[in-house]
Amino acid sequence: MSPSAVVPGELGSGAAPSRWSFRDKILLSTGPFTHEMFEPSEEAVAALGEMQILVIGAGGLGCEILKNLALSGFKKIHVIDMDTIDVSNLNRQFLFRHSDVGKSKAEVAAKFVEKRVKGVSITPHNCRIQDKDEDFYLQFNSIICGLDSIEARRWINATLVNMVDEEQLQEGISDSLKPLIDGGTEGFKGQSRVILPTMTSCIECQLDMHAPRAAVPLCTLATIPRQPEHCIEWAHIIAWDQEKPFPDVDNKLDNDDPEHITWLYQKALARAQEFNISGVTYSMTQGVVKNIIPAIASTNAIIAASCCNEAFKLATTSNPSLGDGENNYMMYSGNEGIYTYTFKHEQKEDCPVCGQKAKDLTVDPEWTLQEFIESLAGRADAQLKKPSVRTAEGKSLYMQSPESLELKTRPNLEKKLRDLVENGHELAVTDPAFATVSFRFAIHYR
Amino acid sequence: MLKIWSMKQKQQQAANADAAATGIKKKKVTAAQLRVQKDVSELSLPSTMKTEFPDEDDLLNFTLTIEPDEGMYKGGRFHFKFEISQDFPHQAPKVKCTQKIYHPNIDLEGNVCLNILREDWKPVLNLQSVMIGLQFLFLEPNASDPLNKDAAEDLRSNREGFKRNVRSAMGGGAVKSQSFDRVLKS
Amino acid sequence: MTEVVADQTPPILKGPSDKEKKYDRQLRLWGGQGQQALENAHILLVNSGSGVVGIETLKNLVLPGIGKFTILDTGIVSETDLGVNFFLDEDCLGQPRAEACTALLRELNPDVEGEGHLLEKDGLSGYLQDHHLYTLILFSYPIDPTSVSHIEEYGRKHRIPLVSMHSAGFYSYFRIVLPGSFPIVDTHPDSTATTDLRLLNPWPELSQFAAGLTKDIDSLDAHAHGHIPYIAILLHYLKIWKDENGSFPSTYKEKTLFREKVSSAMRKDTPEGGEENFEEATAAVLKTVSVPALPGSVKEVFDYEPAEIDADSNFWIIAKAVKAFYAQHNQLPLPGSVPDMKAQSTTYVQLQNIYKAKARQDVAEVIEMVRTHPHGKGIDAGEVETFCKNAAFIKLIRGPDASPRSLGEIARKEFQSDEEAAAWGGPVSLFPIYLALRATSHESSTRVADILSEVDASIPDVASNEHLKKVVEEVARAQGGELHNISSLTGGMTSQEVIKIITKQYIPIDNTCVFDGITSRAQIFRT
Repeated sequence: MSPSAVVPGELGSGAAPSRWSFRDKILLSTGPFTHEMFEPSEEAVAALGEMQILVIGAGGLGCEILKNLALSGFKKIHVIDMDTIDVSNLNRQFLFRHSDVGKSKAEVAAKFVEKRVKGVSITPHNCRIQDKDEDFYLQFNSIICGLDSIEARRWINATLVNMVDEEQLQEGISDSLKPLIDGGTEGFKGQSRVILPTMTSCIECQLDMHAPRAAVPLCTLATIPRQPEHCIEWAHIIAWDQEKPFPDVDNKLDNDDPEHITWLYQKALARAQEFNISGVTYSMTQGVVKNIIPAIASTNAIIAASCCNEAFKLATTSNPSLGDGENNYMMYSGNEGIYTYTFKHEQKEDCPVCGQKAKDLTVDPEWTLQEFIESLAGRADAQLKKPSVRTAEGKSLYMQSPESLELKTRPNLEKKLRDLVENGHELAVTDPAFATVSFRFAIHYR
Repeated sequence: MLKIWSMKQKQQQAANADAAATGIKKKKVTAAQLRVQKDVSELSLPSTMKTEFPDEDDLLNFTLTIEPDEGMYKGGRFHFKFEISQDFPHQAPKVKCTQKIYHPNIDLEGNVCLNILREDWKPVLNLQSVMIGLQFLFLEPNASDPLNKDAAEDLRSNREGFKRNVRSAMGGGAVKSQSFDRVLKS
Repeated sequence: MTEVVADQTPPILKGPSDKEKKYDRQLRLWGGQGQQALENAHILLVNSGSGVVGIETLKNLVLPGIGKFTILDTGIVSETDLGVNFFLDEDCLGQPRAEACTALLRELNPDVEGEGHLLEKDGLSGYLQDHHLYTLILFSYPIDPTSVSHIEEYGRKHRIPLVSMHSAGFYSYFRIVLPGSFPIVDTHPDSTATTDLRLLNPWPELSQFAAGLTKDIDSLDAHAHGHIPYIAILLHYLKIWKDENGSFPSTYKEKTLFREKVSSAMRKDTPEGGEENFEEATAAVLKTVSVPALPGSVKEVFDYEPAEIDADSNFWIIAKAVKAFYAQHNQLPLPGSVPDMKAQSTTYVQLQNIYKAKARQDVAEVIEMVRTHPHGKGIDAGEVETFCKNAAFIKLIRGPDASPRSLGEIARKEFQSDEEAAAWGGPVSLFPIYLALRATSHESSTRVADILSEVDASIPDVASNEHLKKVVEEVARAQGGELHNISSLTGGMTSQEVIKIITKQYIPIDNTCVFDGITSRAQIFRT
């Protein structure tokens, strides 16, 4: 089979080449690996510009991602980041200049790329991802994350999994399914992954891929320090609370305040001298206290481009992508030569986020909570004998234990369901009989 | 291959409008909250331990009270503040003793040296195991790697003297001119 | 005589400099020395084709602060450039591309100098005059063969690394040609790499110190017993083992038995029901109770005969001395570091000092040998020390002259392993991507038949491979056009390697990296 081209746009054919001619060579012809569903067409090219895409994080990865999306032909981009620009960002976050220090990352990055690449619209959101609701996230076709926080990753992951409309999906309408593309780096290493919420392994399934930070016993810090890091941790965790050196700010440690870091550094240094330990430096103090992860432009470029390449393939189906094929995860290591490992991370059946899909429950709104709880025990698909029930908003309706919570929530048992749960809302139910899973029920009133 | 990003923009708009019309805004507990709900509802504590939730809807912040019924700390009532972050169970809960007590493994600021609260924490551990671990500290104070060096010295060198110090500190007295909170039940 | 006035300001009050703040996140990787090497570097980019991959590579080098870059390019900015190259905007249309990109790249870092020049046809040789200007040359395909030979000639003459890049559609590769053998001392081995503790051949100071700590081990109080560093624990029980068995545990079975012996010596009547230091000792048995064998990569360095031009370099003088040291002692100089382990602070620091003292002694011996070399007088002792500290992890990347394999040989081997991989569903070789792109090195004539015949002409017999044919179709589909994502990714990989080469840290690839943007994989070949 040879590539069939809709528009035969040979190089040097005489016609003035368009701005997107390179990209369109790919989009207007099939290749040997494209799926049979792929139909090269001008409409498909135009559709790319109509897709809405959200970038979470305007840092090292985010700057690269915005550039890459704009040069892939995405035209409706949003970016969300609550951070302001710091001087230590400038060695890699290339949309920022020294004069931008202190300004909003999202705003400066959006403005820069809009100015450089004509025709692209980038809407900045200078806030936390948790400040936005489902309606906000529903407007996007896909979300790309360039984050350094596990907490934020878990939040967006759970939100997207929860947004999936199972019924629609079964009918073949995938509008509620927002592919999540996630990148991360550390030094010369990084990873990119594609998640189709509820369909493939999610961030929560993959939580064990993030090694928890190695910790030293508190008593080692307190009595038998041996390493310079032990002295720094001692100053950070123990001496700071003991000596409360900055009463004017309520003794709240500000990692970015040089005075605070200097105080910790001097404390650590004195302690190190006391124990004949060498190696405490200001830079190490900063690194330990802020848990600084080394970051360079090159690695960000690799991972961000990998994420955007997957987004482009997903959006255009111009070639198979991570997520729809065999694999969904690429690890990259550049410490020793170059090594990539691309594999399939399996979905976990007992994943607390995507393992249990919310089951629909049609119930009588006039039931008391007690009656509802008793009905759960009788359900063949649940058989919950001692369920504890909380609402999706985090309100405890009834907790079987511990005693103090049982007492506090017991009065709810007499209340009518309609006074406790809104129609269509979800309940989270746990039961000691099911050691590893929690249940979610969407309540529908008769 | 799944065509994920369907180009049916109209359908999507329709779906969004639909959701808006019925007023359904699904909210969801975070993975951390869900996990804490599990851990909390599965607590099965001996009569020597009790939890207290100032706000029954906030499972991430509560206190644990331990009243040892044997050992050197018998007769005392000890309060621990639990703070669980959204990173739970990736990160261990933060636990501090809210009283100033005389104990080799708890310093005067309330920091607790318990391996599973730091270096040996694993996401498979649960709140129950942390609480049992805390109670153990009162049954078997450990002098070998202390947070309160003075208390550990006393325990190592003079066990009887240490016991006396524990009693007097629990009664709100002073040990080597360091005063302690009264933590006796009666 | 000038009076020296002691600086009264305590050094601890000095925070990081502005530069240290800006470069903080990278200094944590390659340190001040690596940074200095970058700042001394002048990189030439000979850009060709649409050249995005070259500009993206430079971006990642300007940001961390190379000293200077120069771009030479025949291109004039066109509409097509604006769709793929971020360092151009509409105001640049019609301008020489080298100058326009240079201006926008320089904005990224005011510490970096840069110049861009419009290259006239056949003008390259003029820029590659005799004098040694550049630290490294990057160039991108497709490019005319004459330019390649000029660049290669310059590289050979001035003994500098050359890096070529080719990105088209979803595929790319880059290839590094080093001027000769390329040794690296600071390879940043994984922190879990075996630590050389000399448990089977301790020197007297270590033995005495350990014996002091384990004297009457069974009658030690709980605190002392629980704080014996595991090195001393192992040395103690090794001595007992040897007394009983006549030799140290050497087989796996013996070591397992020995491990059980150590484990059973742990006291269980403690509040925790065990002892951390004994647990550490037990866990360390298999890893530390052995005489470290000479690592293959170090043996390669010892066996290597450097070219005459290199033989008097500091590296090879020191390597020769270390080799002599090894011949004499049957072990490498002691690195001198001690992993963290459960112990009292003072005991641990004493133990550290014993290892450090021995390491210094070894370094002194190596320095003495270095000084006997006619060119060894001026070598800095610190350089010898660094070498000795890293001796077990030094790495040599061989130059282009070393045992070259023909492309045909590689292809046949790769195709054969593909057949085996097919049986278990393993990933398919990316070598066809290199062959297909290489066939379009000089012009993006991209008809399938043309590419196949070009492959066939240079490497007979491989063009019939089915997978290769498909790859060629995919290359033809792109018609030489760069996709920004793939070029950016390739620029990221290339710049990582350039940084490793310039800083002489970490381990660069040897020597060709192929990336497949369809399956999201990279593979390394020596071509």
